[in-house]
Amino acid sequence: MKAIVAIAGTTVGEAIRRKVLLIILLVGLLVLFIAPGLGTLSARSETTVLRGMMLGIIQLTSAVIAIVLTVYMLPNEVERRTIYTILSKPVQRWQFLVGKYLGAIAALALMMALMGLVMVITFWLQQGVRDVSVFADLLKAPVMYFIQMSLLAAVAIFFSTFVSPLVNFFLSGGVYLLGSLFNPFFQTLQENQSTSPVAKGLATFVNMILPNFANYNVQNPIINPGQTIQNEKLYYLSAAGYGIFYIVVLLVLGILVFDRREV
Amino acid sequence: MAAAIETKQLTKSYRSRVVGTINVVDHLDLHVEEGEIFGFLGPNGAGKTTTIKMLLGIIYPTSGEGYVLGKEIGDMDVHRQISYLPERPYYYEHMTGPEILRFYGSLFGINDRAKFSSLLEKVNLHRDVTKTISQYSKGMQQRIGLAQSLINDPKLLFLDEPTGGLDPIAHREIRDLILGFRDEGRTVFISSHELSEVELICDRVAIINRGVIEQQGKLTELLKGGRIEITVDGVNEQFLRDMKINDSNVRSLPIGILLDMPEEADPNAVIDSVRGSKGRVLSVVPRRKRLEDLFVETVTNRPRSTGGDTK
Repeated sequence: MKAIVAIAGTTVGEAIRRKVLLIILLVGLLVLFIAPGLGTLSARSETTVLRGMMLGIIQLTSAVIAIVLTVYMLPNEVERRTIYTILSKPVQRWQFLVGKYLGAIAALALMMALMGLVMVITFWLQQGVRDVSVFADLLKAPVMYFIQMSLLAAVAIFFSTFVSPLVNFFLSGGVYLLGSLFNPFFQTLQENQSTSPVAKGLATFVNMILPNFANYNVQNPIINPGQTIQNEKLYYLSAAGYGIFYIVVLLVLGILVFDRREV
Repeated sequence: MAAAIETKQLTKSYRSRVVGTINVVDHLDLHVEEGEIFGFLGPNGAGKTTTIKMLLGIIYPTSGEGYVLGKEIGDMDVHRQISYLPERPYYYEHMTGPEILRFYGSLFGINDRAKFSSLLEKVNLHRDVTKTISQYSKGMQQRIGLAQSLINDPKLLFLDEPTGGLDPIAHREIRDLILGFRDEGRTVFISSHELSEVELICDRVAIINRGVIEQQGKLTELLKGGRIEITVDGVNEQFLRDMKINDSNVRSLPIGILLDMPEEADPNAVIDSVRGSKGRVLSVVPRRKRLEDLFVETVTNRPRSTGGDTK
């Protein structure tokens, strides 16, 4: 356990010093600050637009950070030979991979927390809301996004055990887009009576293996304007459980591949 | 003496679509005794790094057996007793020397500040504790590498090109540290191109070429067969003819004639002959066989590999 914590700690230290990640974060923070100005361009309720826009900015920025952070993680360790000094110590490969993953999501959590804070401050300055429950409600979405990004990081870590960073970037990005935008489509296709058996089978297959990133978009009123949740607590718990299950599966698969890989 | 490293027919093959199967390490039989400094030499692409990676359990052998400190390679118990310093190592640049030691120490469950301080002192970095790795020179990075490799008080150290790219002062510092390891009873396995360094510090060496061990043994035995160079002047033709028959190379120099003969030849007899032919002996210089001679001789006798070390 100590080895995993140590590896995770250095991963966080490295991540928060990576210029490319800091630039992406800075751009995200900057856009969050200027979001109220952009909101006035819309004809819809200013609060709804502002809220949706800020959540969208956090989600997009976090997704880019999650992918950029994780696709280079293993290849960099091999290229810089740090992996050799670590694996020559009493550290198993699974400990190394889990440590890197936990470090990545810890760094992601820090960056997302900063964005969440900026969003709350901006919202408070713009709307002048004093009620704490409004902010608590506002922050539910970034928490769900964090699970979503942890799942995305697990996808990228899994791919990084056997593909190059560039291929991984597009693969992970592609899985994220498909899982976010098309999973509901595949679900509808699967449930629709008039769908041909072949298309239904394909939809079922894709739906089964593709992580459903759309589960975590419920708080975004622009993407899901009509969605209502009967039991909010249960929904969040099941979405979190779904995410953790997928993360564990992806990490186990990644470990199996990484364990056989020659570094 | 017990073997620190023992390999039997250890082989690593890669498949290539172009040339088929390449044996990067080919039926390697290696024997390294405990407490010695062992030099593992070979040209680029000979299979040195691949061998080290197999011994460390980082890559897996295709066939054969390997034992490190009496246990099969890859055994985690062994990893507690060994350490590795890779060629041109990189350490997390944002960390200071003490942080690096804390990190590597934590991989062993070691958190002993006094030990970290003494290691920094040992590698002469105790005055640079606030500097981050990004502020370290190459020599300092190599020294922090050696310090991290000593955290677990290892019985066996694998050093891959420990003096590569360092200035002469850093060379000497690293060399002294390595010699100190032997005095402390540790076994050191060095892969290097710095043949003069290896000659100075190693007890035994192995030369690998195209994945095959070409030479292995004590340096004193491998470097037998030196030459004696005698420079003479004013000798007659008959003397020179006799010398050529006598397995000596005869070369003309501006100052006289150079007779290059095997170590076993009797220089007194040659000197007597020179006097007998009314000549003068200008100098007698024994030339010990150097590791570089042995290396070049060994490697050029067999064409170089088309394969390469895995990186």
